[in-house]
Amino acid sequence: MKLTQPTHLETRAGIIPFPAYIPVTTFGDRYPLDQLVRPYLARLAPAIMVSLHYARPLAENPEQRPRLPVLIDSGGFASLFEDARISEENGLGVLERIGEEQTERLHPYDVLEFQEQHADVAFTLDFPIPPKLAESEGKRRLELTIANAHWALANRRRRDLALYACVQGWDVESYRHCAVAYADAGFDGIAIGGLIPRAKDRDLLFGIVDAVRTVAPGLPLHVFGIGQPELVGELFAHGVQSVDSSAYVQLAAQGRAWGDASNRIMHASPTERLQFALHNLAIACQASLPLSARRVVFKAREPGAYPSAGRTPRTSHRVAHPPSLYLVGLGPKSTPEPSCHRGAHAR
Amino acid sequence: MSAPVLERTEPESVPSDILACNPAQKELLDAGLLTTGFSWVLQMPTGSGKTWLAEQAIEWTLEQGYRAVYLTPLRALANELGARWKQRFARWKVGVYTGETLAQGRSHPVPFADASLLILTPERFDACIRSWRSHWGWMPEVELLVVDEIHLLGDRQRGPRLEGTLSRIRRLNPFLRVLGLSATLGNRAELADWLDGIDYHSNWRSVPLTWKTRRFRKAEDKPAILLEEVRRCLRSGGQSLVFVQSRRRAEQLAAKLSNDGLPAAHHHAGLMAEARGNSEAAFRAGNLRVLVSTGTLEMGLNLPVRQVVLYDLQAFDGIEFSPLPVNTVWQRAGRAGRFGLDTEGEVVLLAPSWDRNPDHYAQGRFEPVRSRLTEPRVLAEQILVEVASGLCRDVEQLNRATAHSLASVQQQALPVAPCVRTMLEAGMLTEVPDEREPQRRLLKATRLGRIAVRQLLAPESVLHLARQVNEQSELPFTFFDLLLLATTTPDCEPLLPADFEELDALAAQVAQEPSRILQAPTSAVAERLGLQGRRLLAAVKTALVARAWTRDGDATTNAEAFGCYPFEVRRLAESLERILTSLVAILSPPSNRTEQQDGTAPPTPSIDDHVPVLERARALLAMVKHGVNEEAITLTYVAGIGGTLARRLHAAGIEDIESLAQAEPAELAAIRGISATRAERWIEQASEMLPQHSAWRLREQGPAAATMPGDWPVSVDPYRLGRAQELRVIRAAKDWFRVTGGLEPHDVARQATGFSCDCPDHRSGRTCKHILAVRLFEGDTELTRALERLHLEREGAAPFDLFALWFDQRRETR
Repeated sequence: MKLTQPTHLETRAGIIPFPAYIPVTTFGDRYPLDQLVRPYLARLAPAIMVSLHYARPLAENPEQRPRLPVLIDSGGFASLFEDARISEENGLGVLERIGEEQTERLHPYDVLEFQEQHADVAFTLDFPIPPKLAESEGKRRLELTIANAHWALANRRRRDLALYACVQGWDVESYRHCAVAYADAGFDGIAIGGLIPRAKDRDLLFGIVDAVRTVAPGLPLHVFGIGQPELVGELFAHGVQSVDSSAYVQLAAQGRAWGDASNRIMHASPTERLQFALHNLAIACQASLPLSARRVVFKAREPGAYPSAGRTPRTSHRVAHPPSLYLVGLGPKSTPEPSCHRGAHAR
Repeated sequence: MSAPVLERTEPESVPSDILACNPAQKELLDAGLLTTGFSWVLQMPTGSGKTWLAEQAIEWTLEQGYRAVYLTPLRALANELGARWKQRFARWKVGVYTGETLAQGRSHPVPFADASLLILTPERFDACIRSWRSHWGWMPEVELLVVDEIHLLGDRQRGPRLEGTLSRIRRLNPFLRVLGLSATLGNRAELADWLDGIDYHSNWRSVPLTWKTRRFRKAEDKPAILLEEVRRCLRSGGQSLVFVQSRRRAEQLAAKLSNDGLPAAHHHAGLMAEARGNSEAAFRAGNLRVLVSTGTLEMGLNLPVRQVVLYDLQAFDGIEFSPLPVNTVWQRAGRAGRFGLDTEGEVVLLAPSWDRNPDHYAQGRFEPVRSRLTEPRVLAEQILVEVASGLCRDVEQLNRATAHSLASVQQQALPVAPCVRTMLEAGMLTEVPDEREPQRRLLKATRLGRIAVRQLLAPESVLHLARQVNEQSELPFTFFDLLLLATTTPDCEPLLPADFEELDALAAQVAQEPSRILQAPTSAVAERLGLQGRRLLAAVKTALVARAWTRDGDATTNAEAFGCYPFEVRRLAESLERILTSLVAILSPPSNRTEQQDGTAPPTPSIDDHVPVLERARALLAMVKHGVNEEAITLTYVAGIGGTLARRLHAAGIEDIESLAQAEPAELAAIRGISATRAERWIEQASEMLPQHSAWRLREQGPAAATMPGDWPVSVDPYRLGRAQELRVIRAAKDWFRVTGGLEPHDVARQATGFSCDCPDHRSGRTCKHILAVRLFEGDTELTRALERLHLEREGAAPFDLFALWFDQRRETR
């Protein structure tokens, strides 16, 4: 598999055209809304992103795998948790989660083995560097991140598995240093992590992106966890090829629609949240939805559209918009921040 | 209307060798409507190629890599389409799911997840949607849902469930588009609006129909008019199909036409399948030129009919007459002038002279499809389904979900909150705290509620069963009692009405059935079971039919004995199977702590029960399912012996599990289908299972139903007898009486052969009320006893009396 120019990425499950907004999802029973939304992702999105931890149920339930490329990250975000510890073994970084009864270990080998079985695009085991971390520890994590990436490249057996090297840092220079280590190594792409806590500083954010882009101009560039549509557009303009985010479904879980902060259903039902998620994803992916898929979102905008218990509905069911069948995703007017992040997007 | 289960139908479509589409099909194809992604409602006359259009939409969907679902209310049509489309769409897997396979204890040949094209009855699809989590592997991939006969949305029984199913699947799969097909819609645009789609209508018909109305002054004039019209059709070279409202009339008219020299025969579902097939074949060959049929021929079948005669424009539902709906008339009219079978089509309506507007049928102003969701029972069921399937957890969510219903589009008020309160009080729903917001209360279906949802029963049915079996008594429930509980639920279908002429025979049969429920007077039984009059009478008759079925499993013989159709007996067995399954579930111990906690634990059986009612209910369920009696059913306790083998063993003299335990292996091995190895294993198992599972445990004990004897005087109509009481009699001479008090006075004379009256009722051959009044005046003991019986019933002191039910005009108390 060879890249000629970063206009698309070829995988064994299909082509991912660039620029790409890749929705994050999970497998298993932990997040019921993901179970509802996941079958429809192939209609709207070019690929899906799953964190290693939430991809593990795929091993027992391969029939749940959707018909589009699956990106599986390393799960290294867990190094941010309180019970996490990063140790070094033979020059490689190993993540340990210290529990009451046992300690879970995540070695680059574990990550690559799983990805080779289930992923179409893999991401190396990296360790995010939070803004207030001591510089010495930041440097240690950075070197281990680089070591892990090179180890994965050297030990990859599946030639059709696209391997992205993960870039971490704490400032523009450290990110550049990390990217330089990957530039001509033979990776299929570079992924930038750790930008979420730094996203409010737009100069820093785009400074980092530009620095990495400059170092590796020919490689596809991915940014973890940034999902607000207006920010995504700017990232694409700065040469990023793909982003991933779970914001579309996190907003939907709150009964909220992208592009309209006031449009919210308190205690939305499962299917209402499904419709919000599809609406949000359609906006993000610039995809089309049938009219009936938008009815909940439109209806929620009408004042008094949903009467209190026991009262006769005031109006018959009429969609507020003209009866055009396919509506292209609405442009964002204001984009509420998701109140929480989870999984791979917390970088 | 409820569509009958037909034994044989043909799907409506354009013949495969047609090279050009008809104008309506061409218009649709040229506009590209099939592939735009819209939902749409298509209204075209019967026989104009709707199914062919559906096939084009299905093919396009399959080629895009998605799945398609086709809903048809006729099981036989589903099987026909399945066979045809397995060839037409050979590149994909086609599955047919109508419940028949599961009823036979087999799994589907094509698992749901493997089928690209799924053909289902609406009921089967409803069951899938209710347990949508189990079908989530394929449901989101359905891009097209074809709903044939979409006007069934207005059907009393099937409509609300279809509406609920469509509402839920569209919320679960927002990408789904719906293609609704019908020939008879009065509000096509409104339905399309509900589906967020468009509507299309065409009147084009390959053979136009001409409509003609013939008037009659008296019912006695109709046969002559029919003869005249049919002869005219036959002289022109055509063939005639006459629709009547009863099987008896079909037989009588066909016989009369035959006697008049016409090649005619009758056709109805009471005939054996072979006999019906022979008639149809003879009609196609032109050897028979007139068929007189009930409504069974109004859907599906293509016959070379030039003329359709609607002999009866009224329908009788067992209780009262009502005009035929326009939709029904057009369904029947559509049998005339079928493409490729005739070049002319004519519809003749026989209308009474006092009917001022019979021509409204020809205008084709179809009745609008009105949602039935506002009916409290129906709304209760749909609310329960929403909660039990996890789609709605509070009243606000229910309100928002029902705001997208057809009822809401039609501006019908839906009292969701009051209905939820009722369900909470009845114990079908309960409230639990939200784990994330403890102050918030969420709705949850109770054990009883989940039973209703799983078996596709109305909540009322389950509540009725639960209340009945909770009642303690010294007498155990008998098999007949349990069947009576089942037939008095709203979900039992069909309910077989009883004719007056049957009452003697039915009373005699009831008197032989052990029963705890029927030890009480009629009024008490009616109060307990929540039904009155002829509806309760029908439930009793239906229970008798079901009990007969469990004794011999012979639908044909039982249908003949009870004056119904074999397919009705089979449909009844299927319906009872669902109801009895829920009864067993109600009686069974809770399977987990959650069920124990929601307060709907099963009843404690009476300490005097020889056999717990649960065991009896389980046995009865198996008896109904297999059509075997309580002795033979014990054979099915042995692993490997199903209904078919049990019947075979029973016929060979191995009547029950005791006989099996004592049988010789060689004796069993001589029976077809039983090897020596199996025989030995079964004998051993049977021995081990005694005495816990002996047939003796299921023997019926206790008194038979305490019914009034069936000695009602045959010539006396109870209604006329009741009216006779209101008249005054004066003896004008020795053998001459003047009777007043009615519309006008009448004279009754005693003659050598009996009494004679000058009123039209007596002239038509009946014992009129005037004569009955005179007989009462003279102290006729037979009539006096009959009157006493009526009075006893009114006072609630009479034993259970089928005749009292007959003339009680009330229907139900609940």
